[in-house]
Amino acid sequence: MPNRSVFIKAATQISLQQPLSESWLSSPVYHDGESYVRSADPDFRKWLSPLEARRMGKLLKRALVTALESMRLSGIGQPDAIITGTGLGCIESTELLLNQLCSVGEEAFKPTPFMLSTHNTISSLIAIQTKCQGYNSTYSQKSVSFESALLDAFLQMQLGDISTALVTGNDELTPTYFGMLRRMGFVGQPGQAVASEASMAMMLSCEPADALCEVCSVHLPFLSPDAPPVPDEPVDAIMLGVNGIASNDLPYQRVARQHPGVPLLHYKPLFGEGYSASALGLYSAAHLLSRGVAPAFMRCDGVDADVALQRLLFVNHSDGSNQSYIVLQRVP
Amino acid sequence: MYIQNMEELVLELKEKIIEVLNLEDVRPDDIDSDAPLFGTGLGLDSIDALELIVMMERVYGIKIKDPSVGKDIFKSVNTMAEFVSKNRTK
Amino acid sequence: MIEPIMITGAGIVSAIGNNKAETLSALLHRRSGIAPLRYLQSSHMELPVGEVKLSNEQMKQMLGIDREPTTRTMLMGMLALQEALAEAGLTSAAQRPIALVSGTTVGGMDKSEQYYPSFLADDSHIDYLRTHACGATTELIASRFGLFSTVTTTSTACSSAANALILGANLIRSGRVPMAVVGGAECITKFHLNGFNSLMILDPRQCRPFDATRAGLNLGEGAAYLVLETAASASQRGAKVIGHLSGYGNACDAFHQTASSDEGEGAYLAMSKALAMAGLTPTDIDYVNAHGTGTPNNDASESRALQRLFGRQLPPISSTKGMTGHTTSASGAVEAIICLLALQHGFVPVNYGWTQPMQGGIVPAMTSEPPRPLHHALCNSFGFGGNDSSFILTKHDDDAQ
Repeated sequence: MPNRSVFIKAATQISLQQPLSESWLSSPVYHDGESYVRSADPDFRKWLSPLEARRMGKLLKRALVTALESMRLSGIGQPDAIITGTGLGCIESTELLLNQLCSVGEEAFKPTPFMLSTHNTISSLIAIQTKCQGYNSTYSQKSVSFESALLDAFLQMQLGDISTALVTGNDELTPTYFGMLRRMGFVGQPGQAVASEASMAMMLSCEPADALCEVCSVHLPFLSPDAPPVPDEPVDAIMLGVNGIASNDLPYQRVARQHPGVPLLHYKPLFGEGYSASALGLYSAAHLLSRGVAPAFMRCDGVDADVALQRLLFVNHSDGSNQSYIVLQRVP
Repeated sequence: MYIQNMEELVLELKEKIIEVLNLEDVRPDDIDSDAPLFGTGLGLDSIDALELIVMMERVYGIKIKDPSVGKDIFKSVNTMAEFVSKNRTK
Repeated sequence: MIEPIMITGAGIVSAIGNNKAETLSALLHRRSGIAPLRYLQSSHMELPVGEVKLSNEQMKQMLGIDREPTTRTMLMGMLALQEALAEAGLTSAAQRPIALVSGTTVGGMDKSEQYYPSFLADDSHIDYLRTHACGATTELIASRFGLFSTVTTTSTACSSAANALILGANLIRSGRVPMAVVGGAECITKFHLNGFNSLMILDPRQCRPFDATRAGLNLGEGAAYLVLETAASASQRGAKVIGHLSGYGNACDAFHQTASSDEGEGAYLAMSKALAMAGLTPTDIDYVNAHGTGTPNNDASESRALQRLFGRQLPPISSTKGMTGHTTSASGAVEAIICLLALQHGFVPVNYGWTQPMQGGIVPAMTSEPPRPLHHALCNSFGFGGNDSSFILTKHDDDAQ
């Protein structure tokens, strides 16, 4: 089987950090004491006319703008594939309709929010706006939705079916749904990472020129055996999705014990928790690798020193059972 | 019988169009009463037509069963106003 | 051109049958499953739908489940998956990695819409909060069998199952897994019944794909799964091969969120990719199971794409949605199994409901006797947002190796 290399050429985000910017590397924004913070939005009018934006809620605007920026930064305007991961899709539209169903009944259902409530609306909007007729798909697998999309793109590129792919992770969090997630114990606990939103688009390519980093491997084990897959070679750091809740953090502690002495990094204190948080984690890892160093404030192992980075293992899980292991490497 | 001044109805329809179609930054004055709403002009599409059909029923009590007749009814704000004044039940 | 992937198991539950045998009988005897709403509690009792003829309670009994939470999508999915795994001989924890890729769009929405007021108020139905998301449905289905090493969910509306098939096939081609179980599950909910109604694409009568008088689709529900496997793995296990997956393609129409382009560009590209991957030309196709929802837009657009692809040499083409209804996220897999049955038993599933040719459209097959032996079938699955997918299934020749 052909085994082509896969690189991340560009990656950009809208989250609770400064939008479309890597200023979090030097001046991260913290939300201590808060449990729910929505994304900091750019002025969307810079990219979208009122007519274009009329039926896009916040999530779609963010998804489209991060996609357009990623295309601009990478110089790839027509990727061979557009693949999205989303845990809840446009939950704002879904809620609107559910509220209507409960209060008014089945009459007066509105077509626009219904159209927006199907999860693939994000990927197709990007394709419609950019006239991309290549491969287009959407994954919804809770906290590993983005990694599912990444795995799809990675496989196709390794197989030689495509050479470029825009891979996006998108989730929004309404106040109502935050309340529900908190009730489920997923977010909103004291001392835990802030519940937030994520929109991230990254452009993958088989060409290494000007790439942020290389994607060496992507694994998505479910109910994995006792020993998770260990990368062939040592890594300089492991990035974990720890968020301060014991049940969430336990599997990560097991991974850390399998790599004694390896620096541990976290991203959720910076970018928050949500179904697409891992997309922001991978985005941050890509940018750290392109600079060859992770700042001390991203460490979660109690050591106050920067980490020189050549190779990084990214670990995530969804309710413990669905896990992801991704190895990224600096491009010489 | 619902009597409403045509000028008032036209303005009301423009406000409803802006509200229902979420046209931020567009004011009633910006919409020419005779200009085409679909295709050229305001540039609305088939989904907007469906939203206007829902609005017609909710606000004026007019049930439009066949979406394809929307093309004629929603040609311009003036044609909408004529249709509403003839067919409204609210 | 790719190495064909073996199919060693199939399971299905839909309006025309609760398993493959019942489905085959309904197809051969032309028994439609479209009927007035019976199981879903909705005010739209006038709309014809293709419901699975089992209540949730009945499905639970068949599965030996006596606890909650369950959702209708999950129950249908378990039934279909059970049948597929049994046929493939995969009933105990396998030593080898097996992927599960399942398509769904509404997930546990049947319970969410029922319990939404309580979600807002208290914890009385909190278990159903956890079953809402698409990914949760797939995990619930997967957990019952304890077989799967990778589990994920495609969610591309009406092409979800077809795209699940594509990822499963790519996982196999890449050498990651020797087996992948692929398909989809979706139950009818008030949510999308009313949603489709607001788009004015539901027909108040029995739907008539490719018919001059067609006025929309009839919503259906169901679940279907296929077991895909490498030839080496199938041979090593002594598994019975029931068909081949020869090629597939996914393209985006990139035209509109709910309508297809006049020229059916996305559909044309998806079908072309499938043929190219299979190393086949249009003349090699013996039967096409069209997406054919019965909406004025889809059938016109798809006709155009089929005419562009096949020119004057159109093979027998039919939509089976007049029998099953539109099973949305499950449709790619439901119709894949219909194609497999057609290939295995040498008949063309007719385009139930059709009587009058549409202007400029394809004339669908209304006779079961194929003009020539069926070897390759092309299956189309087109979703909202222009997510167009097609794949080619090939008859397994027992004599050849």
